[in-house]
Amino acid sequence: MTALAVVAPVDIAALRATLAAEAGPVRFIAGGTDMLIAGRPLAGTGLLVDLARVAGMAFISTDDADVRIGGATTVAALAADCGLRARIPALCEAAGQCGSVQIRNRATIGGNIANAAPAADLMPVLAAAGTRLALLKNDGTQYEAALCEYLPDSGHLIMEVILPGNALLPCSAFVKLGPRRDLTISRLNLAMLAEFQNSHFGTVRIAAGALGPVPLRMHLADAALGGRKLEPATLREFLSALATEVDAAIPGRNSQIYKRRAVAGLGLDLIAQAVGLSPRDRLFEEAVE
Amino acid sequence: MNQISRRVPLVDGVAKVTGALRFTADLDVEGLLHCALVFSPHPHARVASIDAASALAVKGVHAVFWHENTPARYYNSSIWFAGQEALADERMFAPIVRHVGDRVAAVVADTEEIARLAAKLVAVEYVSLPAIFDPEAALLHAGLAMREDGTPTFMNPVAYESFVRGDTEAGFAAAELVVETHITTPRSHHCAVEPHACIAKPEPDGRIGILSPCQSVFAVQAVVVQALGVPQEQIRVTKTPIGGSFGGKAEPILDPLCAFFALALGRPVMIRYDRHETFTATRTRSSVMGRMRLGLSSDGRILARETETLVDFGAYCTGGDYLPSSMLQRLVRLYDVPAERYRGRAVYTNTVPAGAFRGYGSPQIHTVAEITLDIAARRLGIDPVAMRLRNLVGPGAIEPWQGLDVGNARGRECLVRGADAFEWEARRQMGTGRGRWRRGIGVASATHINGCYPGFHEETTATLKLLPDGRAELVCALHDLGCGADTTLAQIAGETLGLRACDIAIVPADTDTCPYDLGTRASRMTYICGEAIRRAGVALAEAIRAAAVLELNTEAAGLRLEAGAVRRQDGSGLALSDLADRLVARGVELPAATETYRAQANPGSYAAHFAEVEVDRLTGCVRVTDYLAAHDVGRAINPMLVEGQIHGGIQIGIGYALYEDVALDRITGVMRGNSFSRYTLANASEMPPMRVVLIEEGEPTGPFGAKAVGEIATIPVAAAVVNAVNDALATELTHLPLVPERILAALG
Repeated sequence: MTALAVVAPVDIAALRATLAAEAGPVRFIAGGTDMLIAGRPLAGTGLLVDLARVAGMAFISTDDADVRIGGATTVAALAADCGLRARIPALCEAAGQCGSVQIRNRATIGGNIANAAPAADLMPVLAAAGTRLALLKNDGTQYEAALCEYLPDSGHLIMEVILPGNALLPCSAFVKLGPRRDLTISRLNLAMLAEFQNSHFGTVRIAAGALGPVPLRMHLADAALGGRKLEPATLREFLSALATEVDAAIPGRNSQIYKRRAVAGLGLDLIAQAVGLSPRDRLFEEAVE
Repeated sequence: MNQISRRVPLVDGVAKVTGALRFTADLDVEGLLHCALVFSPHPHARVASIDAASALAVKGVHAVFWHENTPARYYNSSIWFAGQEALADERMFAPIVRHVGDRVAAVVADTEEIARLAAKLVAVEYVSLPAIFDPEAALLHAGLAMREDGTPTFMNPVAYESFVRGDTEAGFAAAELVVETHITTPRSHHCAVEPHACIAKPEPDGRIGILSPCQSVFAVQAVVVQALGVPQEQIRVTKTPIGGSFGGKAEPILDPLCAFFALALGRPVMIRYDRHETFTATRTRSSVMGRMRLGLSSDGRILARETETLVDFGAYCTGGDYLPSSMLQRLVRLYDVPAERYRGRAVYTNTVPAGAFRGYGSPQIHTVAEITLDIAARRLGIDPVAMRLRNLVGPGAIEPWQGLDVGNARGRECLVRGADAFEWEARRQMGTGRGRWRRGIGVASATHINGCYPGFHEETTATLKLLPDGRAELVCALHDLGCGADTTLAQIAGETLGLRACDIAIVPADTDTCPYDLGTRASRMTYICGEAIRRAGVALAEAIRAAAVLELNTEAAGLRLEAGAVRRQDGSGLALSDLADRLVARGVELPAATETYRAQANPGSYAAHFAEVEVDRLTGCVRVTDYLAAHDVGRAINPMLVEGQIHGGIQIGIGYALYEDVALDRITGVMRGNSFSRYTLANASEMPPMRVVLIEEGEPTGPFGAKAVGEIATIPVAAAVVNAVNDALATELTHLPLVPERILAALG
């Protein structure tokens, strides 16, 4: 029986060399907030590569057209980054609501993607933002792929998370619904990127989490808002679209009855956050009267 | 007053926050072996065979135990003294497993890691048997619970309690309104920070010493003796510091196993459960299905009440057969009900056993009764506070079931002063609002007992002795569960002796060195143990004064104990340490006093809680936005600790109302809420601002007028919150917890 070997490359060159030299199965660990929790047996063999100390894998670059985030960047760093908040506040919001303070300090954006939990809080934002990933194969080749094309079981390492500048929109929001408000796993979460000016929406992209194994882009909801004035009638169509999307995503599931209704409240919260209004604004009350 | 009504810090607080205090799993015991258990994945099955060969082949494994090589003795883990009659249906390992998580086998090894690895190698073949998860269906599995030969049958109902007073039919006939409700309460878990743990070690004289974070060393001893069939004197139990219990550690679950393994192997053994095991293989609060019928006059006077309760206590009886009568006991001492009919039953199901949990039936029955009362108030259009005031018992009332005097019962003051401080009337005038978010307010009253009187053994013995350094040693089999009982009781002792709480050296509870005590249960620490300690303190003070007569050349009557000294009326005197020195020098034994206090009463503690909630009608989420708890505590020995108890009680109660349920699957019997990621507690951000109003009118039979607060603090909370939600939404929700799905479903 070969024991599990653990290596901690100091930089990307060492990381590449490590991967190139390993013929057997490789697993990666960064914050360890999913891999190390009790009840999940750690692999007994193969190579475990610790990414936490790889120089150059944790960064947030927001100065260029594309926003680029290192795969080992912690969720806490995302939540606190002013540059990121200026470009895509929804990602900071999602990061700030992810797990607990301790989890956020350890968990990474790459881990949130690779762990592929249906309720992962960063995922709907990344999906709505048209995110691409820079991936590294064991043989040293690097390639880019759309988030929706990424296969967690491929074993390819997420080096960078790229939010293309041309897909970022001026407004964004993230909201979640869990058993409680804080330190809670999402039963449903929504993210939105939008153009919004003079009370009118331009382009809108919405994605939902915890409605399936991967984030669900909600095209009907996009269409219900896109190009429309923010007014009760628009909101009612939007809420109807959300319910339709939920029905289509989880037909017959035990949670369908609840989620198709609760998504209305979450949807209004989403728009309120995106356009800078209080969810208690009269506009939203009128939409559901 | 020196120590009473003072916010004295916890006597063990610094040791706890600095990590100096050693909990059981931290103890360094030479030659300690470790244990891991194999648990049943089936809700009901016969263990057809066990093959331990692979596990035994692992290096470092010492033994594998299961039903064929452990005592086949039935016991009841809830007994608290030797010979106590209780339905003995549990075994260390049984050939038939009765719930998912039931014990099947145990591996003892050099390390916990080896034991857990080897436990996975124990091959068990099961033959599935039909399982019952629904308590009403369980009633159909009917028969006597025990055969004549003492063998348990696991037939239902196990317990039956009934009570009739007055003419209920006439009461209902005269009623302006009759309300009928069906209310269910969930299986909730204690969630103590410290998981279950126990160490047993063979002593050179052939005895077994058990180190246990327990609620009664004598209960542990009694259960271990019953399970192992050894003489009582062979088992010594010492209490270790406890990282929370809430009743979860009231029953020795690991101790019989640990003791037997240590005896069989001649080595010290530790068993400690991880969090998952603590959820699935210890105890929960019993769930209750309650049906209540209430007849009221037009002005809100209760004319008649019928109550039916069905308790689901899971796979083993433990103390579950007491619950129907416990609930009755607490139900009838709150309101003056002229015509009452009660029927309570308790049943087995193939689910994790229920056991003691803060309030022991009181949260369940008061939840049933207080939600019903509120529904009645709303239907009658009467202010719920006014309705309660119309029916509450007052000081000196005699409760109708056991005929006990409820003492200086101040439930009315709790309601009146609580409502005033909460600005109840003004908030009621504000209404619920319109639109998505609705605001509601709720109130609930409650009562609870003070000790086990008139039950057996409701007495305790305390010894206080002057130490050479001028402090005093207290021996009283005390079991502080982390709530501050040691501090409170040290304050009582200190008050009588002119010492500070930190000057009282408390000897850990130990079956060898302490006189018998029931332990921490039934809200008896302050009221029962406190009074024994107060009496011992008064007696020791008298003995110290008598001893100082010669040294101070004055009469005892002119001496007082103050600030660690014995003083004459002019203030001159001797430090107690100096007095001790002189007595030792003279060869005189240091003063000591022992007092046994046998309870003569069981007064009620009373409370009224007020909650404000905001409910999101779109998502069904509830937020408790404000909270006030008014408590009749007689006298707060330590107001800070009283408030702490109440704050913690509110946290448990909000969880009970809104979130907490171990969620046993009705098809498979598997517990879904088996970890902190799947079992939702009210965490800090869910907690509302909390205010506490203390009613301190003094209970004549309590030490310095004090009564209990530990359990009652959580009893009215769930009903107050549910009533607030029903107020906000104009609903009649009665099935707890009020998860968002239930709320949206009620809104239609």
